[in-house]
Amino acid sequence: MESLANFYLIPGLVLGAIYAMSATGLSLIYGVMGFAHFAHGELLAFGAYAALVAVRGLGISPWAAIPLAIAATTPLAWAADRAFYARLRRSLPAVLLISSFATALMIRAVLYLGFGPTPLSYGTGIVPPLVWAGFRMQQRHASIILGATAAALSLHLLLSRSRAGRAMRAMADDPDLARITGVNVDAVIRLTWAVAAALAATAGVFLGIDTELQPVMGFNVLLASFAAAILGGIGRPWGSALGGLILGLAEELSSYPLLDGTPLLSPAYKTGVAFAVLVVMLIVRPQGLFRGMG
Amino acid sequence: MALLEARGVVGGYGEADILHGVDLDADAGEIVVIVGPNGAGKSTLMKAVAGLVRVRAGAIVFGGEPIADAPAERMIQRGLAYVPQERNVFPSLTVEENLALGAHARPAETGAGMARVLALFPDLAAKRRVAAGRLSGGQRQMVAIGRALMLKPRLIMLDEPSAGLSPKFCALIFERVQAIARDGVAVLMVEQNARPALAIADRGVVLAMGRNRATAPGPALLADPAIGRLFLGG
Repeated sequence: MESLANFYLIPGLVLGAIYAMSATGLSLIYGVMGFAHFAHGELLAFGAYAALVAVRGLGISPWAAIPLAIAATTPLAWAADRAFYARLRRSLPAVLLISSFATALMIRAVLYLGFGPTPLSYGTGIVPPLVWAGFRMQQRHASIILGATAAALSLHLLLSRSRAGRAMRAMADDPDLARITGVNVDAVIRLTWAVAAALAATAGVFLGIDTELQPVMGFNVLLASFAAAILGGIGRPWGSALGGLILGLAEELSSYPLLDGTPLLSPAYKTGVAFAVLVVMLIVRPQGLFRGMG
Repeated sequence: MALLEARGVVGGYGEADILHGVDLDADAGEIVVIVGPNGAGKSTLMKAVAGLVRVRAGAIVFGGEPIADAPAERMIQRGLAYVPQERNVFPSLTVEENLALGAHARPAETGAGMARVLALFPDLAAKRRVAAGRLSGGQRQMVAIGRALMLKPRLIMLDEPSAGLSPKFCALIFERVQAIARDGVAVLMVEQNARPALAIADRGVVLAMGRNRATAPGPALLADPAIGRLFLGG
């Protein structure tokens, strides 16, 4: 039981929390602006590297650098929107998707130029794990889970209790109706980018803390993020967050030695779980697990 | 000068013009009903006033100010509210949230607007926490009209408010439309259900092929056998 929790469930929750934050941002963008944002992984990577600059330059911890990462990533998202997506707002979603792919390549190229391809780390050192009745949890894992929970609660409050969040949900329901109701569409779009960029940057720092930083780190979680968003019903932030958690747990549990001590799936293939989920969902239930459930 | 004056409006979708020089007037407290066969340009005229269709020529003046081609999201601030025929509620938002969005441009007026709307449509009070997507067609129409009334507009435009409703709900909606007009709000309404709508209209406007064919008080149009035969189905 302890090994299941220590080596599979907790890492699964951590991975799921990162996927959930990334997928929620994707889902918000899809809901409000109606296109699949392929540069989302690069926002995540940019946030991670922005935090690295703050960690090295100011000598602060990566946790303390999260607000700076958000402050750096949000203007990048706004700039990409203004330079590329806003001009294509009335185009087909496929055109926006391709432009976001180009944006991803540009941001990644900048990261390669600035930091090179070598994996980097925040250098947080060795911190003893939390131990309780046989259960062990890395402190960084506890912080990531707590941080993701705080982000989810903040997002929930924003969407359900605030005037701006209500306008975002209205835009996701029907942008034309929102416009004639007097909603400032441009302001809602700016807010959506800010929220999605903040989630992506935070997820990037979490991923950097848990593993290492590479310019392709965001692209590597993009497929899983899309799979999570589709699993929960793309355009539904809560569904996407839940989809992320399910996917993170599924990836980690896929290599659990359930039979004869042999992993169900070789750990080398566990990233394929997201791909499998994506394919199965698109065939069986493309509207997501939770659509039509109230 | 009427509250709303449209003169020689030409416009449509893309390159194609649907309206070919249409005139329209609406005054405070007046019910104006636009009728005509399919493709006459009734809804297009209303969308042109609402800023949703590009006006290529002509003028639309509201409260003394030209509004042709003004952005649709600014219309509510000018006192002009539009309720589309379909997709006129936010389905995932509750009734209360839908109504609150009607006051999005001036949030301080949410409480007063909500009280006014719930007085007009008391049935909505019990459904405040229900998602609008779960309501019946008639209830949705009440939410849509209620949302448009939240900021006390000077003109409300209703595109086929009785479409798909039971006779009971149709009668209720028309009765409420009269109550809205009695409050001094100009009501501009497009209706396929032409006879009951014209019966309550201070002014009926018959459109065909994107042009004005007749304008007269609603009951007078109903009494005209030629109008009845040509445009109201006998």
